[in-house]
Amino acid sequence: MPIPLQLGRGDKMGRGPYEKSGILRDSSLPPNRPVNESFEIPFPAEFAKQDGKDVTTILDHDMTIEVELMYLPFGTKESGQFTWQKVTRKVSIEKGGV
Amino acid sequence: MNVLRNMAILAFLALPLATLLQPDACAAEMKKATSIDELATMYDSSGCKTCHEGIYNEWEQSIHSRSIFGTGRTAATIKTTVSVGLTGWLYSGVKKPEDVQVRHLMICAKCHLPQLAEATDDVAKEIVKNAYIYTDPKASDEARDKAVAQLSKVNIGCLICHQRNAITHKWVDGFPEKDTVYGFKDGPHADAAHPKMKQSRIMDESILCGQCHGLGPNLELENPSQCATLYASYNMAYRAEGGQEKCQECHMKKSKLGHNMQSYRDPGMAKAAVDFKVEALGYQWRDGARMVPQALVKVEMINRAGHGIPDG
Repeated sequence: MPIPLQLGRGDKMGRGPYEKSGILRDSSLPPNRPVNESFEIPFPAEFAKQDGKDVTTILDHDMTIEVELMYLPFGTKESGQFTWQKVTRKVSIEKGGV
Repeated sequence: MNVLRNMAILAFLALPLATLLQPDACAAEMKKATSIDELATMYDSSGCKTCHEGIYNEWEQSIHSRSIFGTGRTAATIKTTVSVGLTGWLYSGVKKPEDVQVRHLMICAKCHLPQLAEATDDVAKEIVKNAYIYTDPKASDEARDKAVAQLSKVNIGCLICHQRNAITHKWVDGFPEKDTVYGFKDGPHADAAHPKMKQSRIMDESILCGQCHGLGPNLELENPSQCATLYASYNMAYRAEGGQEKCQECHMKKSKLGHNMQSYRDPGMAKAAVDFKVEALGYQWRDGARMVPQALVKVEMINRAGHGIPDG
């Protein structure tokens, strides 16, 4: 969101409207322009050496990922967040292979 | 020669008379409200319900109908404006809440209660007093309920958009008149208090909303404040890039919300505002000789609103 500049000077963010006068930076979604984000999430796995070779043991080959677009107008994530969009995806890792 | 002289005298006399008859001059001479109750009466919209019941019911559900109390956060912010801002500033002239005058509270009221400009400092003090009671953890439930009720009496009612703020360019279109409601047509209006109806040139234009849903810092104030930067974003990031729609088209018409103008709190508005695409891929990354299982999640968001999200 537009991160307000305190009293329109310096480098500090203002909090209350009474002290905001400008924008320090803007993390809001601009109109009609795609914003892309990517995330890498590790699967649960154990890594070991066997006969000098790296061996990966995947503990779970399936993962359910919830992607949530949240807005925090006030307070904390626990108390004040608003869920704008929420999407669930299932992802799997191939079993076996070379 | 005498005729010319008489005409000159008449013109000389007519000028101050015309000035006196200017609606703004009349408004300036109007008696100011001395209490929240008087200000509520001055801008009472309840009579509109008789003929415009559906619209009135929509408006009652909107945040406009409780603009000074809000969801409670607005009242709480009025309190911190005084307790953190005004009383903390050396030159504000406010040492304690009772010192607050209209000019101080216009930091908030410019948008949350613009009609406060037509009230005495007593009203500013009454608003502050009730905001303090509402946020006081020691206040009784009864006292808090009374404070909420009092703060909820004044709001952005029908007469703010359809009269007071219906004309932005007053030198071009004239000054809003107290006996008139402004909409899309000229003609008589079946209401004893407002027997005239006139066209407002901005009733379906974004500038009507932009008066409050802001450009950024309100630099005309002695000590500028800033809530919303939305109208600036609308102009510079949406219209400037070819966007065509106006506030009313999305917030009233397409949403079918009418006068219950909502934003993200309405599920339909929230859904329509952002295209949210998620792709996920599971794969094994080869980190040297080690296989590392991971998921790649790619998110694309396109804001379909006519302004940055979030803003206000």
